[in-house]
Amino acid sequence: MPEQKMRGFGDFSDDQHWGDEAASEMENVRMSDVVAAGGQKWMAISVYVSIWTAIQYHLCTNAREGCLLTAVISPDATTAAASIADYHLTSPTGTRGRMNEARRQHQVALASTLSTGTNGRGLLEDAWKNAPAICRPGMTEASYAGILPVGASIAAARKRNLQFRYRTRIHAQDLGSTRIARCLLWQPDMPAAVASQWRDRQRRVFQSVFQTDVAPSTSQTTHVSQSTDPGQPFGYPLAPLPGHSLHPQQPQQTHHGRGRSLQRPGQHPSSRRATPESSSFGSTAPPLLTTAVDDQATYDRAWHVVTAHIALPSSATADDSFGTLAAESQQQSSRRRGDAGANEFYDAFALVINASTLLPRATRTDDILAWHVRQVRAHFAQHVIPLLTGCVADDGDDDGDDEAGEARDDGAGNGHWHAARKGNHYERHMVTVMSSIRTLEAALRLYFYGLNQLLSGFSRLADSSPGLAKDAELLNTRFRRDTHALVSNSASEGLMRSIKAVLTRLAGTILGFPSQDERKGDGGQAPRPAAPGPDDLRVQAARERLLELVQQLHNVGLAGERFQVLFAEVMDLMMSAFVTGAYGGVWSAPDPGSFSVAMDTISRSGPSSATSPCIMSLSDWVENHFARLSFEVLACISSNPQGPLPVSLADVKTYQSLALGRLAALRIGELFDIVLAWPASRPALDDLRATITTATRRRQLTDSFSRSLQIRLLHPGRSTLEILQTYISIIRTLHALDPSKVLLSHVEPRLQLYLCHREDAVRVVVSGLLASPDEIRAARKANEVAKSPREKPQSNGPFATAAMPAMSSSTSRDKPRLHSSVQVDENGASPDDNYSRRPTKLVELALLLNDPAQNRRMAADLDEDLDWDDMNWVPDPIDAGANYKRPKSEDVVGTIISGLGSEEVFIKEFSAVVAERLLSEPTRFDQELRVLDLLKRRFGEAALQSCDVMIRDVQDSRRVDTAIHKARAGQRARALATPAKSAADCRGQEMEYHARILSRLFWPNLDREHFLLPQPVVEQQAQYEQGYESVKSRRKLTWLNQLGQARVELELRDRTVTADCNPVEATVIYAFQRTEDDGDGNAPPVQKSVDELYEQLQMDEDLIAAALRFWVGKGVLCRVAGSKNNYIVVETLHDPAASTTTAVPTASTQDEEGQQHATGELEAPDLRAAAGAKPAVSAKERERREIYWRYIQGMLTNVSATMPLGQMAMMMKISIADGFPWSNEELQDFLAEKVTSGELEVVGGKYRLVKK
Amino acid sequence: MSFIEDSQNSAPDSVQTSKLGAARKGAEPGQNAAKRLQTELMQLMTSPAPGVSAFPSADGNLLSWRATIEGPEDTPYSGLSFKLSFEFPSNYPYAPPTVLFRTPIYHPNVDFSGRICLDILKDKWTAAYNTQTVLLSLQSLLGEPNNASPLNGEAAELWDKDPALFKTKVMDRHKDIEDD
Repeated sequence: MPEQKMRGFGDFSDDQHWGDEAASEMENVRMSDVVAAGGQKWMAISVYVSIWTAIQYHLCTNAREGCLLTAVISPDATTAAASIADYHLTSPTGTRGRMNEARRQHQVALASTLSTGTNGRGLLEDAWKNAPAICRPGMTEASYAGILPVGASIAAARKRNLQFRYRTRIHAQDLGSTRIARCLLWQPDMPAAVASQWRDRQRRVFQSVFQTDVAPSTSQTTHVSQSTDPGQPFGYPLAPLPGHSLHPQQPQQTHHGRGRSLQRPGQHPSSRRATPESSSFGSTAPPLLTTAVDDQATYDRAWHVVTAHIALPSSATADDSFGTLAAESQQQSSRRRGDAGANEFYDAFALVINASTLLPRATRTDDILAWHVRQVRAHFAQHVIPLLTGCVADDGDDDGDDEAGEARDDGAGNGHWHAARKGNHYERHMVTVMSSIRTLEAALRLYFYGLNQLLSGFSRLADSSPGLAKDAELLNTRFRRDTHALVSNSASEGLMRSIKAVLTRLAGTILGFPSQDERKGDGGQAPRPAAPGPDDLRVQAARERLLELVQQLHNVGLAGERFQVLFAEVMDLMMSAFVTGAYGGVWSAPDPGSFSVAMDTISRSGPSSATSPCIMSLSDWVENHFARLSFEVLACISSNPQGPLPVSLADVKTYQSLALGRLAALRIGELFDIVLAWPASRPALDDLRATITTATRRRQLTDSFSRSLQIRLLHPGRSTLEILQTYISIIRTLHALDPSKVLLSHVEPRLQLYLCHREDAVRVVVSGLLASPDEIRAARKANEVAKSPREKPQSNGPFATAAMPAMSSSTSRDKPRLHSSVQVDENGASPDDNYSRRPTKLVELALLLNDPAQNRRMAADLDEDLDWDDMNWVPDPIDAGANYKRPKSEDVVGTIISGLGSEEVFIKEFSAVVAERLLSEPTRFDQELRVLDLLKRRFGEAALQSCDVMIRDVQDSRRVDTAIHKARAGQRARALATPAKSAADCRGQEMEYHARILSRLFWPNLDREHFLLPQPVVEQQAQYEQGYESVKSRRKLTWLNQLGQARVELELRDRTVTADCNPVEATVIYAFQRTEDDGDGNAPPVQKSVDELYEQLQMDEDLIAAALRFWVGKGVLCRVAGSKNNYIVVETLHDPAASTTTAVPTASTQDEEGQQHATGELEAPDLRAAAGAKPAVSAKERERREIYWRYIQGMLTNVSATMPLGQMAMMMKISIADGFPWSNEELQDFLAEKVTSGELEVVGGKYRLVKK
Repeated sequence: MSFIEDSQNSAPDSVQTSKLGAARKGAEPGQNAAKRLQTELMQLMTSPAPGVSAFPSADGNLLSWRATIEGPEDTPYSGLSFKLSFEFPSNYPYAPPTVLFRTPIYHPNVDFSGRICLDILKDKWTAAYNTQTVLLSLQSLLGEPNNASPLNGEAAELWDKDPALFKTKVMDRHKDIEDD
């Protein structure tokens, strides 16, 4: 077909000279595929050159505007614009020069061809038709005119027109085909369908490059006014020209002023546009267009009929009903006109569609579909959007509340007020959405009515030209797509918000979130979200409602990308809210029966199979509710029902892993509470273990836990006991979570560091280890008592399957021990009974020490690297350190001990505590022995040797004691042979006296405190000593008077006081003994001053004061009124003035005959008795400072005469075996004291001894 | 505080030591010597003997000490003070320390480079001796030199023949040394 046409114009293409010039241009347009012969070739080339020139020409003038404009028009136009933009951007300056030249050559070529004949007339006319709307600033250039070989104005006009025509063929080059370009030249002879297609494209490209108004119909005809105003009389093309050119263009100019201004400044666009075309029309067209006028008139009439038929209502005032009414009126009117009207429409439609064939002379034709699209757009913008805004507007003022409400949505129990508001919100949002949908539905019905009219026209024509039917189908889908894009892009924020609110509500109901009704009804405790049962009517209703809504949204085009994003957001929110709401604080296993469903699903094969109930229920929820909802909604809005499933099995897996991730985050946040609630929180650990699968999450866990540790535990408000108890829980929890203990090792350092600051940490641990069986029993009982109240909330848990109620309410009940104190901090109050139950010792350690599972390590250590039978072996965790060694058991005790610093420190403290206990209790030492045995296995025999010695000492002394007493009994028996009186006397003087003999080297801190014991005791000591030396020859006893215990019985005038006290107190009260020669009980009570006591007892004043306080506290002594240091015996409670029988300690096991004899079971030293008293501590400290001072002297004498502070501190640290506990600041203070006292001096920042 | 080393995965040596377990006790001689020396130091500090003192040297090595002896009254060394260095072997106390006078001293049993001839620092050494006893022996050696086996023959002769000249030589030789 193109070849034929080309042969037709061979006669004017022989001009060789411009052909050569054009050939050079050919390279620029890269037309390597030009296939032509002879002179025809040159014509083809010239066409291409023209096209190319036109492109280049536009590049520099209008391309930018074109790009901006076309972006909104249609895909094809966008492509064209993109290509233009590409050209423009790649060669903005380089092409300009070449372009000018090309344009010149092009003009030369055209002038010569066109002036030679009339073959190009149709072509010229075609171009002419397009001319009026174009502004061509380049045409008036002087250089341009100068090159014209033919000076005629007609030729000039033709050239202009032609050039414009070529411009509109830009897209031809996009297609890259020579043939098409050739076809374009001979458009009047082309088949109608092709022609109309091309015309459509032509118009679009035209619009993309030049700015024509989108709203009106074709730019060059009067259809604009007629179509929007169907009642007006129809005008002929020539008649309205002058007025028309002014009338519609005036608003255009203002409307698109910005775009126009980008054209050549200084020239008025409308004048340029209007005048040349009318003048050229007037001067050149009439002879040619006599028939064209008729065709044009016919065409325009047909156009009018068609447009009037499908025109949208121009104004709309009725809100919701306008669409339907308009559509009905359309139908009514068409019905009124009856078949005649319909036929008229179809005839006219055929004319309009096939204008190029039927009315070849009608120069101004247009695409009726494009017109309809424009009309729809205009209508939508002018009428529908305001209506939509109206639907949403009344909701705007509540936005703030609304979002706040959503944010609080997952926080349960916001109260009735909020629930009510929430309900109102939902209703209002629903109204907004529904009214919007109805409005859009009505509008779309209108639009599609017009389209269907057109399509039915097409289908009628389809008989004659089959290609049209296919076109119609294509057009239909395209129109639909465009319209939906229009709707979804114009949906306002408010509307989307409303949709979101509605979605949230409905999806929430479907996914099992409790509604406000339930919240209201329940009052205090908010129900947890739970997977709804299969026969829940409410859920089914919500599901139907939601799907219906989504379908409606999809129908009106609101289910586009924005909706999908919205839906994804809502679902994301739902998942988070569900995980938090359903599992927050719920750790215990739900009823396993309720998860039998889950067991049959794919979750069983997942990585988290057979794990905690929470995970199973969550997986079940995701699979059966979450994924189902997603599937249903996405399937609803899917554009391609036959395509792949919107939610695949892999997607479900992904959802599940996402949900598990949320669960992990939740549990990580709760970890500290989980630790506190151990072991009740074991199921929560199962959750964590299954979900903490990546190194990142492990890291997140340790980081988060360390943070909460710092905030909640490691501060001065916690007692060391509490910290250690928590530490035990942490060890057990994290071990259960991660048997490799790597997590623990990441959390521990901070805790250990903090414990090092607690001086009593070691002591608490040791005393805990040594807790007596009684204490252990008591602790067990306390635990049981503590557990029992928890049973009740367990039974009535909501779905949640929750064996534990919400955390906030449960924790204080669950954990009486430590937890109570935690609650104190958080809630400011704690149940009183918790205090009473709180133990004072770390009995857990004693329990653990006796737990065989804890000691497995020792046995396993033997062949730890070769445990081939370990079927549970897993590789070391990825975040384990380089020298990581897998521990075999929990080993709480070992971990805690190693956490407290070196073994030596622990052993030292342990022996101190053991010493204290050995000296304090006369009972057997089973517990100590057992603990000692266990510790020996841990630390080795040698380390605990001193403890062994201590225990043996105590056992030995018992034997020795018995032996001595036996020997003395023998002596007494011999003495009985002497007169009875003396024997009785002897017995009377007797008191029970036992001693413990300690090996000096193996007992810690046995200081001597000097004071004079009561005479009877001294006598006993002497006798005992004697007996000892007879039993063990060549050994001597050194008495540690301040250590021991005494039972004292005081016989006062009106009462008898029995007290267990230490020797110091016994000695002091003995000093108040009435001497023998005071005679009977009428003398006044004994009164002594501190100074007298000091002289009498040679005892440290601090000790005297402490002992006096003790007896004052017992009500035996009181301070004499008016004097500071005098104390008097309180003989009678109610009559202090009465006289006395003075208090005397009496042996408890001895005769109670009122004989005033002091007795004391002066047992051997008690470390704590001495160390516990304050003065003794400060004395110890004084001593320590003295030692340190000697160190410093030794240092400065021997090492270096002058030393700086830092070096001294360093030397102290390395040279003192037990470590140097002072900080540099403390040492500095100490040295400063010495400087003040003149023993040191500072020279040049260094310390030096003052030479004497 | 060594708690970090004691945790599960830390420096290699801690793993080794924990593996060694009980074998560690007594297996590291240097460790034992240091411990013993710390104890000795503590003894020196808690029950100091008059006229003698000692302390580990400034480099933080417990096996190297510096000591000071005041010259006893009624001897030519009265009023003078002498610095000594002690180098303890790693198997101390099973071997004697190497003791040198750092202050130049004119004494029959000390040579000019400060080496000392004293039986308890050689073959008569037992583990029962300690730094303090060595220092006290040296102090008494100042007043009662063993002229039977002199390192400095001239001094041995002068000690008996001419105490005045001996005293002069002692004062000439003595020179307070600077701290290193």
